[in-house]
Amino acid sequence: MRSRGALFALVAVACTLGAAAAVISAVAQQTTTPEAGVRSAALARPYVVFRSLDPDVGEGHLGELTSTPAAAPGRTRRPSGRLCERVYASATGGICIARTRSLLGAFEAQVLAADGRVRHKVDLAGIPSRARVSADGRYGATTTFVTGHSYAAAGEFSTQTLLIDMRRGETIADLESFTVSRAGRVVDAADVQFWGVTFARDSDRFYATLATAGKTYLIAGRVSTRTARVIHDNVECPSLSPDGTRIGYKKLVGKKGQTWRFHVLDLASGVETPLAETRSVDDQLEWLDDANLLYRAGDAIWSVRADGTGAPRRYLAHADSPAVVR
Amino acid sequence: MYNVQDSSALVAGHRALLRPRTAERRVPRTVVLLGMTSLLTDISSEMVAAVLPLYLVYAAGLSPLALGVVDGLYRGAAAIAALASGFAADRRRRHKEVASLGYGLSAICKLGLVAAGGAVGAIGAIVMLDRVGKGIRTAPRDALISLSATPQTLGMAFGVHRAMDTTGAMLGPLIALGILALAPLAFSSVFLVSFCVAVAGLAVIVLLVPRHAARASTGPGPSLRVAAGLLVAPRFRALVVAASLLGVATISDAFLYLALQRHLALSPMTFPLLFVGTSVAYMLLAVPVGRLADRIGRGRVLLGGYALLLPVYASLLAPAAGLPALALGLALVGASYAATDGVLAALASSTLDEDVRGSGLAVLTTATNLARFLASVGFGALWTFAGLDAAVLTCGIALVAAILVTGIVLRATREAPAHA
Repeated sequence: MRSRGALFALVAVACTLGAAAAVISAVAQQTTTPEAGVRSAALARPYVVFRSLDPDVGEGHLGELTSTPAAAPGRTRRPSGRLCERVYASATGGICIARTRSLLGAFEAQVLAADGRVRHKVDLAGIPSRARVSADGRYGATTTFVTGHSYAAAGEFSTQTLLIDMRRGETIADLESFTVSRAGRVVDAADVQFWGVTFARDSDRFYATLATAGKTYLIAGRVSTRTARVIHDNVECPSLSPDGTRIGYKKLVGKKGQTWRFHVLDLASGVETPLAETRSVDDQLEWLDDANLLYRAGDAIWSVRADGTGAPRRYLAHADSPAVVR
Repeated sequence: MYNVQDSSALVAGHRALLRPRTAERRVPRTVVLLGMTSLLTDISSEMVAAVLPLYLVYAAGLSPLALGVVDGLYRGAAAIAALASGFAADRRRRHKEVASLGYGLSAICKLGLVAAGGAVGAIGAIVMLDRVGKGIRTAPRDALISLSATPQTLGMAFGVHRAMDTTGAMLGPLIALGILALAPLAFSSVFLVSFCVAVAGLAVIVLLVPRHAARASTGPGPSLRVAAGLLVAPRFRALVVAASLLGVATISDAFLYLALQRHLALSPMTFPLLFVGTSVAYMLLAVPVGRLADRIGRGRVLLGGYALLLPVYASLLAPAAGLPALALGLALVGASYAATDGVLAALASSTLDEDVRGSGLAVLTTATNLARFLASVGFGALWTFAGLDAAVLTCGIALVAAILVTGIVLRATREAPAHA
């Protein structure tokens, strides 16, 4: 019994030392974040803002907001010194969703001015999933997965999609508070979820995904009237083309309906065109221009043609969360 | 020096007078050690649980939707593992070894998470193995607790264990998020620390917990048929039915917190705080309520525990009250846990023959988990199709009915109160 006690003491000490070493080495690897705020003012539009996932620059730079010319991706990478979990930007401002150093592990949406400085911070609940900013920089939108506590079953989660007033740095509304109609009837089921907002050029009109009873729908709404209506079935994470005529999105396909395939929907005719990317990818598409779309697959950003022809090609290595600033 | 002798005699006499009472209060060393194992293991597993969604979304690029699809499979695998391990532990009379196997499997899984990197398939397989580990250890561990305590102190023994277990569950997320606050995105460090803590927990059960002293019957344990026969004994069968009925009529935690949050228009950020509030109450009350159950009857306390939920459900139907009402509600939910979880295990242990304790507890756990799963699905469907108020009202009425039926069933097959 005595030797067992001694052995236990040995194991306990080893465990304590091991745990301490793991924490200390992790903290030591944290390079001090460089002073944030100096954005790539010199880059000419259009350029692409993204999160850098370059493993060579060290863990302290993982997720750094970076920009690169849209026509020559990767030729120059301009780091900003700002670490983000998800980024989006337009010519007049952007959103960087960042971890706060709070013990609760919360996130905040940092509302960035055109020069890259933080203008406002908006607290977010849950794990960030999508972020978008309207072209004129008036509104922003974020989607987070609000998981319960860890005793909740792993499959139980809900999404929260917030509209943010970028000038005031305030939440305008949760999409759940909007009146949504489908075929003339108001949708008011308890399980309604929203995600993946995309704004039209006028900022007021937007598109998003509505999910209820295991199905997803494309909704078209207006911020000013707090209303939206269902206009198409089986659409997730819509992204409106710069000319405002088409929606790029992911659609559930396959026999079991468990594979996503990127499609483009022509809003006027309702025609759906599958894109050349055949992998099942979970991302919100971003239009590079009116003929090409960007998305993250693996640890790189890829591009694919909007008319369904061609083949996907690697656009930018070690990057995700692309946003085209035009 | 007759004075001294006198006084020592006096003390001895005094001790003798006190003995029944002190014996009643004493918690067996094995129970405390098993509590320590659970505390460390819960720190370890809740550390991972707290950061896993984040890790899957960021390192592995998986959507939580995809995670939900396979969850049903995991539950099934864990349930089968639980039944098999309960029986195997009884059959070989090796509760400690089987429980250790479960703790060991879960510990290795933490190291596996480090090795898996961002590979989604590997992470999924590891999470499943981790749950299987949990399935394996629960019934033999509870059997070991029940075999280490005297029949009169079962409620307190389980209370001590559950209080320690809950303490670990509360510390785990704090430690994990603390590490991530010091070193953002250092998930592998979280998994490594989690592994170290799990190994310490495993060391407690392997090196310090004694094998349950072999009783008179040292031969092989009951065969499957004998075990099955003992398990259909009227009292135990009644208890399984009762616990399942109560489980089906209860609103699951996730939904209850969601309902509270909607009803009181709380920010989703307060969600984890609701869990903390309940856990604090559970942690503080588990031991006193367990002792109360030993004294006034475990069936009574169990039913009382479920009755504590009724005012909480009623408050969801009443106009929204302020924060004090919320605090009271969370305290009631925590008290309800204290009066039902460990007490049910104690009650079941007292009705089960020692030879089939592991199998019996495994059957009971599986039945109540299934009941809770059905309750969760049912409540979700009711909420969707009939609205929140109707769903809460239905559960409330069902719970009253379940309490009444259970009361009658338990009375009919009643054990004599431990201290009557």
